Amino acid sequence: MNQFNKLKLNAASISFLPILVCIPLSYQLIINLHSGGVDLFQEFILSAFHPKINYETSIIVINKLIETIYISLSSWLISIIFGIIFGILSSNIFYEIINIPIFFKATIKFFLTIIRSIHEIVLGILLMQIYGLNFSIGIIAICIPYIAVNAKVFSEQLDNIDQKRFKSIKQINGPGFSTLITLIWHPIINTFKNFGIYRIECSIRSTVILGIFGIGGIGTSIILSFQTLNFSELWTYLWALIFLIIFSREIIKKIRFKNNPKTLSIFLIGIVFSIILFCFYYTFSFILNNNFDKSYLINYFLKSDSHLLNFNFLKLILDTIILSLFSTGIAISFPPVLILILNNNFGLILIRSLAFLLRLIPTPVLILSLLTFNSPSISLAAFTLGIHNAGITSKLLLTNLKSMDKRNYIAMKSLGFSRNASWLLGLFPDQAKSYLAYCAYRSDIIIRETAIVGVIGGVGLGWQLQESLSSFAGKEVALILVAYSSIAIVGELINGKIKNSLT
Amino acid sequence: MRNTVLELKDISYKYENNLVLKKLNLKINSGEKIALIGKSGSGKTTLISLLNGTIKQTEGEVKFFKKDFKELNNIQKRKIATIWQDLRLIDDLSAEQNVNCGLLGKKSFYFAFNNLFNMCSFKKAHQYMQLCKLHHSIFSKKVNKLSGGEKQRVAIARSLIQESEILLADEPFNNLDPKLTITIKKLLLKDKDKRDIKKTALISLHRLEQLEGFDKVIGIKNGEIIFNEERSNLKKFHLDNIYESI
Repeated sequence: MNQFNKLKLNAASISFLPILVCIPLSYQLIINLHSGGVDLFQEFILSAFHPKINYETSIIVINKLIETIYISLSSWLISIIFGIIFGILSSNIFYEIINIPIFFKATIKFFLTIIRSIHEIVLGILLMQIYGLNFSIGIIAICIPYIAVNAKVFSEQLDNIDQKRFKSIKQINGPGFSTLITLIWHPIINTFKNFGIYRIECSIRSTVILGIFGIGGIGTSIILSFQTLNFSELWTYLWALIFLIIFSREIIKKIRFKNNPKTLSIFLIGIVFSIILFCFYYTFSFILNNNFDKSYLINYFLKSDSHLLNFNFLKLILDTIILSLFSTGIAISFPPVLILILNNNFGLILIRSLAFLLRLIPTPVLILSLLTFNSPSISLAAFTLGIHNAGITSKLLLTNLKSMDKRNYIAMKSLGFSRNASWLLGLFPDQAKSYLAYCAYRSDIIIRETAIVGVIGGVGLGWQLQESLSSFAGKEVALILVAYSSIAIVGELINGKIKNSLT
Repeated sequence: MRNTVLELKDISYKYENNLVLKKLNLKINSGEKIALIGKSGSGKTTLISLLNGTIKQTEGEVKFFKKDFKELNNIQKRKIATIWQDLRLIDDLSAEQNVNCGLLGKKSFYFAFNNLFNMCSFKKAHQYMQLCKLHHSIFSKKVNKLSGGEKQRVAIARSLIQESEILLADEPFNNLDPKLTITIKKLLLKDKDKRDIKKTALISLHRLEQLEGFDKVIGIKNGEIIFNEERSNLKKFHLDNIYESI
């Protein structure tokens, strides 16, 4: 008993603990197994090695890739620029230098928290109902939450500016905007280089997922191929997508390491004003061209038929929370567990390749392929979302481990410890805290992504949202959005506390 | 009759329940060069931070030009320049850009913008950097690539370019060799050339051999002013009192 009292969990052991979610998950996944679509799944996997390549498909691939690039690049640019603007406006440093009531900061932060809490898919589906299929919908749906996410990251970075340095420049008592620009410019450029450029990849992924829901680009072709069980064609699109992401990443690397800050700064200034002007023009023309009907929206949300009592709302909320927790558990624990077990050169290559594929295959396609031999359930949705995010967390963990000081690990190995034990005791513990802090941030995203697997996998609020949208039940849609938003905001607050305690 | 530029009345400062400065009273007249001495942790840095308005006293009054610090406008505040012990330079900027930051108080936003992109004139910055014996090869280097002594002189050049009337400096001769210390001390204590303005300086020091050139010496111990004497009247017992336990 005395020994048990002394048991203390550290960051490394906490990283492994969530693996326990696999017990209930495996149980439900095993009892839900069916052999109905095993052949289909086999065909899906084998088709990866013989994608359909002909003139007609190539033309479609090129056209769809252009559409995808158009939507993702436009939304990335707009969301970065407005993200920076709102990031500055919601940072503490802005209000310490410029004499504006702090009330504005609280209002902007609240507004950003609300729009950040709704996933781009939910917005996309909603906007599609109102405006119909349109490229612009894709851009707007991605931009809204992305602006808020980017603003949060930029504002956090600005708030990390050394207070002493800030005071020394402020003490010179120059004009407010001179002090502000001198202090914030380089943190903004550095955040843009480290985080902003990476958002292109996120933007491409979001565009593909929105495409799966019909907005256009290569995602639409992927889902149409899946629905017609044309797996060879499906893999042609998936390989094209993989190529696009690798290609964009290589360009990113070049921009990151070869462009000097001055060129980058002037490039940014050049595009900033034109994009802002374009956005205003675009918004106005969008509203005018789409014959914006306010009465339709009012009727949709307030006067529509509602069947609120026909579904168990609390159960749906609970399902969504369980789905988020299970997925987060997988995303946290899978990477360290796999690296611990397969800690050799071949194993690490295997983990990297698997993580790459899991990141790139859109979650709707992943869950649809798993549904060929498993019934829809929370476990299946959580497993899908979990392994997709584990692909992202394992990339981060492997990259950080690679750049770490390995002296402890080498020392332990030289003392005769096994490779696995040396990794567990000499390498991972130093990385565990920052890994968990990133996972806390990732779980914010997982909560929002429950909407995607929910819609396809038939669980939680995501599924009910799809149902309510299909039956034009505006009140239900509004209620579900509020519930989604509330879960995401509470999750963000909890994760923020966890992140702060870890860093 | 010299004007009082700075006056402290019953100043106390509390930090995390510790009384760091205790009921300080002090008058500094225009043109006076004052050395502030005391052991590490005696309250020298806190006193300088309080004088430049970075921290606020828990009790008492700080008056500049007979006005409460809160009542000073930006133009009056610009008359005070500070050299910080930890330098507080901006790592992402080059040495010359950092020195030019000292001009932010006198220039427009356009200047600040151009300074970030190396598109403004660095003529004045270079003059002050040369006065501080900085070699031209380091002018455009980022400050995080400079040695401790070079960074120290960049921070000094940044305060000098402000051409302020009051200079507050917290151990500005750290990282400097004896020869450079003499040159830099002359620069800091020199009055302005063109106008008949006597520069006031309050400089905290660690080494007693650096006291030469100062008019007055203030000794501070455990947050209290132990003595405030003309340098010529300074006796051994004054210093013994300050450094007794060393």
